[in-house]
Amino acid sequence: MKRAALATFALVVALALAAVAGQAQASSSAAKDTQLVGTGATFPFPLISKWIPEVGKAYGINITYSPTGSGAGIAGITARTVDFGASDAPLSDQQLTDCKGCVVIPWALAAVSIPYNLPGLNGRVHLNGATLANIYLGTITSWNDRAIKKLNPKLSLPDTKITPVYRSDGSGTTFAYTAYLSAVSKQFSSRVGNNTSVNFPTGVGARGSSGVAGVVKSTPGALTYVDAAYSIQNKLQFAMIQNRAGRFTTPGLRGITQAVSTLPKKITSPAQLKIVDPPKAAGPLAYPISTFTYVILPTSSAKAAELRKFVYWAVTQGQKFGPPLFFVPLPTSVKAYAYRELAKVKVAA
Amino acid sequence: MTSVGYDPAAPGAELERRGIRLGDVLFQGVALAASVAATALLGLIAYQVFSDAWPAIEQFGLSFVWTEAWDPVKDTYGALTFVYGTVVTSIIALLLATPLSIAIALFLTEIAPRRVAAPIATLVELLAAVPSVVLGLWGILVFGPWVRDTLEPWLQSFLGWCPLFSGEPSQAGMLPAALVLTIMIIPITSAICRELFSRTPRDLMDGAMALGSTRWEAIRGVMFAYAAPGIAAAVLLGLGRAFGEAIAVNQVIGGANSIHISLFAPADSLGSRIAAQYQGATSALQASSILYLGAILMVISLVTNVLAQVIVRRFERSRRAY
Amino acid sequence: MTTIPSDDRYDITVRSAGLRRRKLTEKAYAGLAVASAVIAVAILALVLGTVIHRGLSALSLDFFTKPRPLFGQAGGIADALVGSALIVGMAMVMAIPFSILVAIFMSEYAGPRLSVALRIVLDVLNGVPAIVVGIFVFGLLVVGRGQSAIFGAFSLAVLMLPMVARATQEVLEIVPRSLREASLALGVTRWRTTVSIVLPTAIGGILTGVVIAVARVAGETAPLLFTSSIAANQVSTDVTHALPTLPVSIFVFSESPDPNEQAMGWAAALVLILFVLVLNIVAKVVAARQRRRSEGA
Repeated sequence: MKRAALATFALVVALALAAVAGQAQASSSAAKDTQLVGTGATFPFPLISKWIPEVGKAYGINITYSPTGSGAGIAGITARTVDFGASDAPLSDQQLTDCKGCVVIPWALAAVSIPYNLPGLNGRVHLNGATLANIYLGTITSWNDRAIKKLNPKLSLPDTKITPVYRSDGSGTTFAYTAYLSAVSKQFSSRVGNNTSVNFPTGVGARGSSGVAGVVKSTPGALTYVDAAYSIQNKLQFAMIQNRAGRFTTPGLRGITQAVSTLPKKITSPAQLKIVDPPKAAGPLAYPISTFTYVILPTSSAKAAELRKFVYWAVTQGQKFGPPLFFVPLPTSVKAYAYRELAKVKVAA
Repeated sequence: MTSVGYDPAAPGAELERRGIRLGDVLFQGVALAASVAATALLGLIAYQVFSDAWPAIEQFGLSFVWTEAWDPVKDTYGALTFVYGTVVTSIIALLLATPLSIAIALFLTEIAPRRVAAPIATLVELLAAVPSVVLGLWGILVFGPWVRDTLEPWLQSFLGWCPLFSGEPSQAGMLPAALVLTIMIIPITSAICRELFSRTPRDLMDGAMALGSTRWEAIRGVMFAYAAPGIAAAVLLGLGRAFGEAIAVNQVIGGANSIHISLFAPADSLGSRIAAQYQGATSALQASSILYLGAILMVISLVTNVLAQVIVRRFERSRRAY
Repeated sequence: MTTIPSDDRYDITVRSAGLRRRKLTEKAYAGLAVASAVIAVAILALVLGTVIHRGLSALSLDFFTKPRPLFGQAGGIADALVGSALIVGMAMVMAIPFSILVAIFMSEYAGPRLSVALRIVLDVLNGVPAIVVGIFVFGLLVVGRGQSAIFGAFSLAVLMLPMVARATQEVLEIVPRSLREASLALGVTRWRTTVSIVLPTAIGGILTGVVIAVARVAGETAPLLFTSSIAANQVSTDVTHALPTLPVSIFVFSESPDPNEQAMGWAAALVLILFVLVLNIVAKVVAARQRRRSEGA
């Protein structure tokens, strides 16, 4: 019996080895060229999920994308452990230097929604930048705080404690959100600051857009910042945020379109693509926490041809998959910038 | 099969004449190489972690360990929050798990009839086999909400005056993490205790009872005294396991950036912070600071592990007198 | 030991006034011990019961044949099952021969001092947390090269090595010296003795150690997070790239707000637990047989 067990064991191991060897050989010759591996932001994952099968059909390129957070995307492409990285945060000067020849190309545009968990409330919560900053600074701790009541005179707010939920991983959504809060609150700017990973003084951390949405869904009184598609997918109610024109707006297509209406005609760097807290001139419905999201490509890569095909498709035909997920098609000036940057991606010598 | 007779023409014959067999030398060499490689592996792990952490060690020095800071915007980091979280969750887990484990081991060796003991022992071992990610899954979706809705309010109702139990009940925090760790440690510690108790020489116990002590007194006086170093080692091993657990803790501890007094509040531990942030560090300094956390974790795990072994070996020698 | 009626009038043992109190203490502690065992069993039943209850409802044929879903779609764990099988299989191939060789060196060739030193090395290796092994393999292999299933397998092999080596070494020591001496006396070379006589005698214990080690690493998440977590949502056997695995999939599902993904997490946990439990039971059966055989012999 023991001998039989041993023999079976050895056979299984041998088979596994053979399968592995066979696969390694097959894959090394065939599919490697048409496979692109990428990682990064969870924010555009809903849209990228729609793109992957389409690109597969159109060009036969097999794309692997793992949503691990913008920080991991930047780190991954810098270390060249992946073929492309995705991030909602553009690279800082230091990160660009460390990346040793990378381009940052905007490929989608959407908004950061503020979902919350207050079951049975008689209406939608209205918030503004200052209140949000104070919630995340810990100076406003319960839902029936005076500041929130002032913005919501008609709502019967409970005295539930607010649990602000934030991203514990390196996140481009955090980057966009803290950019907004730093713009509207000096205290937030000096105490916390703007980065993909910040030291939030209070609240609960969770991994990924899924993670924060999950905590809000299961915790009464919780509130977080996450891409609108995740709020909708999980049937979370999101707040209306007051813009500079004084109106309360939602992270919908109109809100985002107006938020980008004051972009310059010619874009020369991602720094010009900061669209949080847009000016009054943008429009009355401009949503104040919108953000572009970027793909980061190496300027020199063995898979440059496939990468260019993929990103070009994403920036042009891929945009039509956006609206149902609350992604707005890229404005023309941004598309032009994307094409120019994409041209810098060349096949490695 | 056997090399009877000496064949001068066979390979290795010259060596064999001198009593050295080629096959033996080769085999011993391979086995030696494997052992050297295993030792080198340990050294390599320590070297790799420390050299990757070196930029942070150079920048912050030893005070990193007791500095409470973690600010990627200002690019300053300190490990105190996570050392605190690791130590507190592990100590609470130990305080809860040790008496429970000893009691379970006593039940299995002294009280339960063999027919009951065997399946229950198997069940406790099966608890050890549950992967930590599954315990974490249960922790996030079932246990955490129960702690928030039932356990913490109950604790607060009579212990609320104590700052440890103040604040708002939360499903993610120090307490759920400590309780999940308790569940993880119990099988390990109780298995070791069970081994120890069953190996206590019977004549010592019988002698004590012949002198008129009740069974519990015999256990307390003789068995525990005999097994004390072993129990200490078991406790240390459980502690080492608790220190190193990253995944299940990450799922239920809440990822906080600073120390909060209340056990209900979110916290973070060394392993959990590494798991959450290593892949997405915003700067090289943050990446190596996270590895500095890893180095600290490695050191405290090593120390508890080595301590456990020292205790076992030291008392194994003195026990041989029995 | 005959039980004498506890009526103090006929108590011929030493008359201590506190006898009743001591007996009560005895009963109290016995009660505590029983209660603790009940608590432990209850917790296990709770965890396992929840996994089974919630996991069963998500099991379906689709679950086993479809890969992980993209955003907002349905799916399964087919790709994770294949990935886990490949990675654990490769880890076994890497770790087992190596561990056995180390154990052989410790029990057959090393002097007592060296043997103890090696034992300490192995025990220390055993105590290195899985996440530290993860960042070690990440820094050593993944940086600059990218993730791959092979690196994932290597990290699991590092975890398996001390477990299998120590288990093997302990079993080898139990093999009676007379067996070795008889074989050597017959002229068998030392290495043949070890390979053909000592090892087969110890094979039961070695198998037990291997099975337990496999059960442990099959559920390890931390090292795989660093070495094999960026993987395609499709069934793949390409081990030069990262492959999805069961533990990492469970980890991702556990944090999802989507009830479908949570259900898949439970079901995947059920599959993993069943696999690990079966392995543990197999290890017990083999160990019991081994014990019976050596006792009977």
